[in-house]
Order: sequence, then structure tokens, then C-alpha cells
Amino acid sequence: MITTFFCAANAQKKVVISGDKMVTVPSGKYHPFFITPNNKPIPVPAFKMDETAVTNAEFLEFVKANPEWRRSKVNRLFADTNYLRHWQSDLSIGERNKKIYNSPVVNVSWFAAEAYCKWKNKKLPTIAQWEIASKAAPKNFKYKSLTEFILDWYTKPNPKVLPNVKSTYQNEYGLYDMNGLIWEWTFNFNSFIGSRDSRGNDEDELKNFCAGGALNVADKSDYAAFLRFSYRGSLKGNYCIANLGFRCVKN
Amino acid sequence: MIQISKKEPRLKRAILPALLLLSFTFLMFSCKTNPGNNADESKIDTALTGTVTAELTTAPNVPKPLTYTSPKKVMVTLETIEKVMPISDSSEYTFWTFGGHVPGNFIRVRQGDLVDFTLKNAPDSKMSHSIDLHAVIGPGGGADATATAPGQSTHFQFRALHPGLYVYHCATGPVPLHIANGMYGLILVEPQGGLPKVDREYYLMQGDFYTKGKYNAPGLQDFDETKALAENPDYVLFNGKVRSTTGPNALQAKVGETVRLFVGNGGPNLVSSFHPIGQIFTKVYMEGGTEVNHDVQTTLIPAGGAAIVEMKMHVPEVINLVDHSIFRAFNKGAIAQIKVTGAENPSVYQKLKP
Repeated sequence: MITTFFCAANAQKKVVISGDKMVTVPSGKYHPFFITPNNKPIPVPAFKMDETAVTNAEFLEFVKANPEWRRSKVNRLFADTNYLRHWQSDLSIGERNKKIYNSPVVNVSWFAAEAYCKWKNKKLPTIAQWEIASKAAPKNFKYKSLTEFILDWYTKPNPKVLPNVKSTYQNEYGLYDMNGLIWEWTFNFNSFIGSRDSRGNDEDELKNFCAGGALNVADKSDYAAFLRFSYRGSLKGNYCIANLGFRCVKN
Repeated sequence: MIQISKKEPRLKRAILPALLLLSFTFLMFSCKTNPGNNADESKIDTALTGTVTAELTTAPNVPKPLTYTSPKKVMVTLETIEKVMPISDSSEYTFWTFGGHVPGNFIRVRQGDLVDFTLKNAPDSKMSHSIDLHAVIGPGGGADATATAPGQSTHFQFRALHPGLYVYHCATGPVPLHIANGMYGLILVEPQGGLPKVDREYYLMQGDFYTKGKYNAPGLQDFDETKALAENPDYVLFNGKVRSTTGPNALQAKVGETVRLFVGNGGPNLVSSFHPIGQIFTKVYMEGGTEVNHDVQTTLIPAGGAAIVEMKMHVPEVINLVDHSIFRAFNKGAIAQIKVTGAENPSVYQKLKP
């Protein structure tokens, strides 16, 4: 089923819309959140990443060009019933929703996000790419630390109207809103649960990483990372959630 | 126990060996089916006799005692909701909850029941949540089956094998943060035949809270990770708010009544020295289990643990229920109250003139 889907996606017309700015994230080493004998630091070559999350306005162009991704036509295997539920209709974000034209698109599934990136000749960032990109120091920041800023955001309910992109902070790579606006899909969002520990830890333990699972965590005080990995661990590819969007990368 | 008449020696000869055999069989039987007090695991394969939906209540209320006598399939649905609520008169806090309140909804089932459990996470939640019910024997107490993204739901079932009062809590990483934000509640597994009848039942749950601002600092307060790691709370509360259960909100009782409290401790850090000022617990189901202690002044309730306590109301008074680690009661909010009304009872207590 998934193979069929990707073939279909590849066959789509590739229309590139200009104006979506990317910035370079320099090469680095990603230290996995879970320490296991197989989870060694991963070298990540330099890559380009969208400066901001994909907006409602941008995603509308994609939906216009790709009818199978319209709300009324999408295959439920690839997007659940919440898909684009905040839009007025298939091809209209809605007059009432003017404030969110330039806000990140949310209520999009992994499959939809991946299809969008493909359409742009891009792809979704891996966890390693996303984590490296988000670790960069913030510019003009009033918080004591990035972790504190993230925790403060995490512990506040979703705002009624999702703010526009570039409304939080920019980091030293030039990326906007890596934290503090939405959650973002990664290509391998739940792969971190798949690496089995040779000491007999099974993946369920890693999936829960309750008190016991925390034994394997690189930095136990990094509550922000914990929350991110928990969130990713609860996702399925067709889920569409009100605070989950994405941005794309290019190698 | 059985009297055998001396006038019937023949019968005696016939009955004695039979009695011996009977009592031996009885001993064997009781050893086999009763390994640990009320833990009757022979109920695992008992056929269910219908389906009911569990009554869920908000503290301090407790669902009505169950009236059915044979195991049922019990449907339970809890929803995780993130919500800004007052934590004191001047401070607000972003609570993460089971059912929109701290503590979460009280669940009441019967030993032998098969519980069909659905966890929903509200669509506008920011976080993923899950549930670990200490009444569950199975991976993660249910946490393994319930990692639930915003707007989604998860589903599992478990057999309530052991009677007792059990804590449930969110088990999504970082677990301490989810618990510190209020994600806990109680599930009661009634023993076969239920608990003895009392006049009133109430639900209290202690929890410690860690905020950037000091106790009662004005405005919305963020969680303080440094204070939480140092186990130095700003608030120690019953039912999630300073004065949640005092003054006009005090629990009510009348002279002559017996009151049962289901008391849990969500933690995340502190152990409670639970004490009724001006009262004595006539019964304590220690640690929420089946062993009953009598005539207790202060009972220890561990973090992630519970106790069932009972008191007989003899005189009109306001009973202050406190964590007797007493700075917590005095400075951090750990007081709840029972207001007892009725006639004076001078044979039990009277104030005398100097």
C-alpha cells in the first residue's frame, strides 16, 4: 500500500514554487537521546533546511496542484479525519482564518508532509537533522536557556489562534521557530523505539521510558527533549494534530 | 466446633475420620485458593455477567458502592486535558489532568471485573499522555498500550485481580513532570462482596507542586524544574488547590456517622504523614491493601500509594486533615477539613471553665 502511494507521489508533476528560503545547517554530530550500544553519535553532513515551517498558504498551493491531497479526497490510510480540519473547505483556508495564512500548517499527516516535501524536491528532516538544527543558539533571546524557553512553551496550552511563522526566535543558523510555535514531523519520527538494546531491553521499555527507561537517556535533566521524544513516540503516520506541522530539508 | 454426643459412640467412630478428612481437605483448599488474603485469582476465568459503564466522579466525591455480585465487563473512558486553573487565591498553574480536575476521576470496580479502558487525549492538548494504573498487572500498568497523541485515543483491557485502593498516573516521559502537573487519581477495586457499609465516603489526594514564583505569587506560574529535582515544593495540596476542601468547601458529616476517606498521594516527591486533628482513625486499610489496622493517629501514605481510613464522628468539630510534616500544612497548603455537625457529647469531650 505504501509502495503504491510513493509511486503515485513520484509520478506527480513537480511544480516548484519560488520564494521558500532555505538556510544551511553545518555538519555536526548528533548524540542520540537513548544511549545503547548501537546508538553511537551519528555524523550528520551539512544540509539545507526551510527557514520556517510550511505555512497554510504554501500548503494550499500543494493541495491545489495535487487533488488527491484535498480534504475530501485524501485516503484515510494516509491522513485521519482531522486532516486540514481548520480550513474552511478543500481549497479555501477561509476568510475567517486570515490570521493564519502565514501560520504553520497543522493537522497534516506524515504522509501529507512527506508528499509536500517530495513535491518541492525536498524531504522531511531525520530526527538527527532536526535535533542538530534546533540545538543552535538562539539570537536576541530573553530567556536564561533554550531548555527553559521550550519548557515554558510546552507547559502552556495551545493558543486559540496559531501565531505566524517568524513570531518566536531565530537561531544562529538562520532558522525560525524551531521551538515555541508547533511540533514538527521528522522523517523517522518513531524509529528511536526500534533499536533493541543488546542487554535485553525490549523496544516497549524504550517506548515507555518511564522511570526505568530513563536509565538509558543521555541527559536526564533535558525535560524538553524528553517531551519531544514522548510526543514523537505516540505518533502514527496518518495522525493529523492541531499543533503538529513540518518543514523540509534538502541534502 | 461440632459437638458429638457421647451417647452415640458408633456414630462418633464413623464421623471422626470423615471430619478429619474434611478439615484436611478444607485446609488444602484454602491454601490453594487463598495465597494472599483477598487475592483470589480463581476469578480470572469467571464468566462475565454483562457490561456496565463505570460511574466516574470528581474529588471529593466517590462513586456509589457497587451492587452487583458477579464480575462484569466495566467500560471506563478517561480524557487527558491540559488546563489553566487556580492553584491558590492569587496563582494559576497549567495543570495536566485526567478529566479536567486534580486529582483525576475516581474509578470504582469490583474484584474479578474485566475493565475495558479507553484513554482519550483532548484535541487541543500540547502533549502526549498515557496512563499507568497500579491496579493493572500488565506491561507498564497500561502505559505500554496508551501512549496517546493529542486528539487520539488508545484502548486496552485488564482484569482487576486484587482488591485495594490504587493510584493511577500518567507515565509519559518525563514522567515526573506529568505527575508534578497533576496527572494522577485513584481506582478502587472493591473486594468480593464490597466494603462494609459506612455513612459517607470521600476522595482526597495529596500532591506537591513546584512553581517559578513563591507560594501564592500572583499570576500564571511556570513549573520549576530545579525546585522539583531538589524536592522542595512551593505547594503541598489536597485535591489540587489551596483550600480546595476547607471552609465552605469542607467535607460534611454528622455526629454519630462513620466516614470513610479514600486517600491517595500522587507525589511526585513527598510521602504523607496523614493525620486527623481531633480524631482517631478507627480503621486504616494500610497502604490501601486488605490488612486493617485499628486506632491509628497518623498513617503513612507513600508517593504513588494510598490508604483507606475510617472515623466515627462523636462530637461536633472541624477536623483538620493534615500532612503532619507540619510545615507543609502550615505554610504550603496541606490541609483539608471535615465539618461535623450535631449535638454536643460531653461524655466524650467538653471544655471546662478554669
